[in-house]
Amino acid sequence: MNMDQQNPFVRVQYLSKSYVQRHPLTNAKFIVHAFDGVNLTINRGTTLALVGESGAGKSSLARCLALLERPAKGELWFDGLNLAAFGNNQLSVMRRQVQLIFQDSASSLNPRMTAAEIIAEPLVIQKEGTKAEQRQRALALMEEAGLPREWETKLPHEFSGGQRQRLAIARALTLRPKLLILDESLSNLDIASQDQILKLLSSLQKEHSLTYLHISHDLRFVSQFADEIAVMHEGKIIDKEPAAELFTQPKDAYTEELLAAMPTLETICAERFD
Amino acid sequence: MKRWHKLGAGVVFLAAFHCLILFAGFFAPYSYTSRDRRLPFAPPTRLHFFDESGKFHARPFVYDIKDDPAHFGAYLTDTGRRFPIRVFVFGAPYRVAGPFSARVHLFGVDDPGRIFLMGTDAFGRDQFSRFLYGGQISLLAGLIAAFLAISLGMLVGGIAGFYGGWIDNALMRSGELFLALPWLYLLFAVRAALPLQIDSTQVFLLLVAVMGLIGWARPARLIRGVVLSAKERNFVVAARGFGASDSYLLLRHIIPQTGGVVLTQLVLLIPQYILAEVTLTFLGLGVGEPMPSWGTLLASLQQYFILSSYWWMFLPALILMPLFLAYYSAADALQERLKSVSL
Amino acid sequence: MKLLSRRLLHAVLLLLAISFLSFALLQLAPGDYFDEMRLNPQISAQTIEGIRAQYGLDRSLPVRYAFWLFSVLQGKLGFSLSSGMPVGPLLWVRARNTLLLTSTATFLAWALALPIGIWNATKKGKWTDRVTSLATSTLLTIPELLIFLCLLLVAARTGWFPSGGMISPGADGLNALGKAKDLACHLLLPAAGLAMVMMPALIRHIRAAMIEALESPFVRAARGHGIPRVRILFRYALPVAANPLISLAGLSVATLLSASLLVEMILSWPGLGALMVEAILARDVYVVIGVVMLSSMFLIAGNLFADLLLFASDPRIRVE
Repeated sequence: MNMDQQNPFVRVQYLSKSYVQRHPLTNAKFIVHAFDGVNLTINRGTTLALVGESGAGKSSLARCLALLERPAKGELWFDGLNLAAFGNNQLSVMRRQVQLIFQDSASSLNPRMTAAEIIAEPLVIQKEGTKAEQRQRALALMEEAGLPREWETKLPHEFSGGQRQRLAIARALTLRPKLLILDESLSNLDIASQDQILKLLSSLQKEHSLTYLHISHDLRFVSQFADEIAVMHEGKIIDKEPAAELFTQPKDAYTEELLAAMPTLETICAERFD
Repeated sequence: MKRWHKLGAGVVFLAAFHCLILFAGFFAPYSYTSRDRRLPFAPPTRLHFFDESGKFHARPFVYDIKDDPAHFGAYLTDTGRRFPIRVFVFGAPYRVAGPFSARVHLFGVDDPGRIFLMGTDAFGRDQFSRFLYGGQISLLAGLIAAFLAISLGMLVGGIAGFYGGWIDNALMRSGELFLALPWLYLLFAVRAALPLQIDSTQVFLLLVAVMGLIGWARPARLIRGVVLSAKERNFVVAARGFGASDSYLLLRHIIPQTGGVVLTQLVLLIPQYILAEVTLTFLGLGVGEPMPSWGTLLASLQQYFILSSYWWMFLPALILMPLFLAYYSAADALQERLKSVSL
Repeated sequence: MKLLSRRLLHAVLLLLAISFLSFALLQLAPGDYFDEMRLNPQISAQTIEGIRAQYGLDRSLPVRYAFWLFSVLQGKLGFSLSSGMPVGPLLWVRARNTLLLTSTATFLAWALALPIGIWNATKKGKWTDRVTSLATSTLLTIPELLIFLCLLLVAARTGWFPSGGMISPGADGLNALGKAKDLACHLLLPAAGLAMVMMPALIRHIRAAMIEALESPFVRAARGHGIPRVRILFRYALPVAANPLISLAGLSVATLLSASLLVEMILSWPGLGALMVEAILARDVYVVIGVVMLSSMFLIAGNLFADLLLFASDPRIRVE
């Protein structure tokens, strides 16, 4: 692991985003703060896990970092470049560097497109390569993601959940991004599939020097792979530590609560089957 | 798989029917203007297999008819001469697909025999032939108008759903305007805006254009709904993340999702528009003589004595039933299919 | 209340927009009422222009629209050239007739469709249900034109019913009961025709709504508690089913008005639709506009009424 402390790949300062919603009947406006004053750094080639309960604003933050939405306030730095000054054209170039993997694999894949078409789509959109070259790249990525080449004409519904996520990961890698954001991507999978995908992600990270932002609600899950962990509560980052420190000597009271709510198998057995 | 049977049967019937109408010139024994002044309001010609002496003939034949001197307006069969039905006869010329003309008709009888499968009208014109030719008008009007309405609906609904905001608001409000009027009243009102006595072809085109242009509101609303939900689907967001432009998203991802709704709406609208054209012409506000729209064929039924004495004049209206049944069951089957293939 | 006033304002604005558009559309059309007169060599062009000036037809569009609006406020709604009287009174009479026809038809249709729909919902899948289903499907494919023509045929052939019009000649001499009977005789066929047009779809919708209500969890729970079936039907299922049905009622006003136009023409019922067709053929502009406005008003009023009913009946919507 290459801990580039002086020059983190992602730097987030004071990021804030709020939404205006209307009451369904009275039509009155009220403001929802998705997240407020968020500060984060992610070092190159490492995995940062962002943990928090549902509704804490994690997905909005993910979309802002994936450059799919604009934050209301704050600054975002990628690879030393300040994105606040970027226009739309420059931003779409930057978008190639960050890819988002969604929680629900089925909805993130167009049900009428074949596997090869799905993976090749980024190349089609960016107009890179001939059709033959695009297909070759798609097949190569399929193999890398652990899917057999012969499945290139299959439709998404013919894949299992875990295989669909592999497909989504393969697609995400098409434009050779540097940062991959996984928004609860493995939460819907069974333990065995989760394990396999984690192994895949780990090898991909070494192979391509990828940086990961892994969003989850499950501290225990992220303990398997995270280098650093940030805890989010009600739209604010309240704690950020290297994984080793967080699990042994947590600095924040809320983090302690979360850890305490995670009993080990031993304590469960002791309580119930004594 | 009963669903598929419904759809398949409906489609086959529709295809056959439309083929019949498309090649009206070939299937009709007479042209739509040819008249036989001797035989106004002649009943449908009966086909015979057995002649007066009881002999069986493999080829069906018809008898000539003459005026019945005893009863005014009635006819007597003249069993003197047999007129066998011939196939692939040479008759009046007709046009096929534009400039090409042909003279072969599927069936006919020699002069002075007549074969009126659906009887004749006040001018002695063969109703069957006029029905087939009239179908060209009414069906074409229905199809074109429905296509127009759906296309416009797709355009408006797509833009409104995709861009949202004030465009959406403005477009949907103007749609409300169109939906706030009972459609037949609206159609009539617009027809009123057009000059009453104009050339037949012009009337036809104008009528079709008007029907199509006022019918966009409901399909637009439905399509907008589909576009709105499709826009938020994750695969669209993902494609946006790859730098896709708006037009790419619309063409590649969103419009294909509307396919099901569009097809169903189209199949539902076509019979409605056919009926609209027939109704308009029936009331004297549509295509005029000598163009034999189905409405014209039925218009004479508004006269009491025709209505009660000449039952065969009803036939065009009766034939509309299986046609609509086919369209509606196809639409039903499509709708069920849409529901089951949930996105 | 705020909701209601907003909807009313919305409705008024909509009507204004429609009026302006129809006005512009119709006035832009080539030719006018006096076309036939112009063909007559005995009437000089000057006379015609004089008449036109008298009715203000030679002014510009915005001016004419302003005059028309003013006339609307006076209740006159412009001037009918064919009848030589203000449009307003003409409209009210015809509108009254159409309302009579459509409300009778609606009442008939619902009175028959409700029991049939509810009955079939309870007997779902049994042969009565299937037969009704088949009947409604068949009825749906019959074009209205055919239904009305058949009714006319029945009237003509059997002589049981008058074949048109609203009152018999000489009906003035009858007493009140006689007049009512006469009216009813004339009303029966057109109303029955309209009801036949409405019923198949109505039966289907009622059946569907009832089935959905009957199969919903809370009704199943009630049945599990042993509550008698009749009570469940009327106190539990029906109020729930009423919700979509009321919306349906509001939406069906449009189809009703369109169908009534046709029946008025075929069975010679002197209503709004018939008036419109006559006016179009005579190019009597203000009458056409008046009819368009009135029919839209009916439609909007119908929708508004349905919304209000919904508001009153469904407690969930009232929660703010």
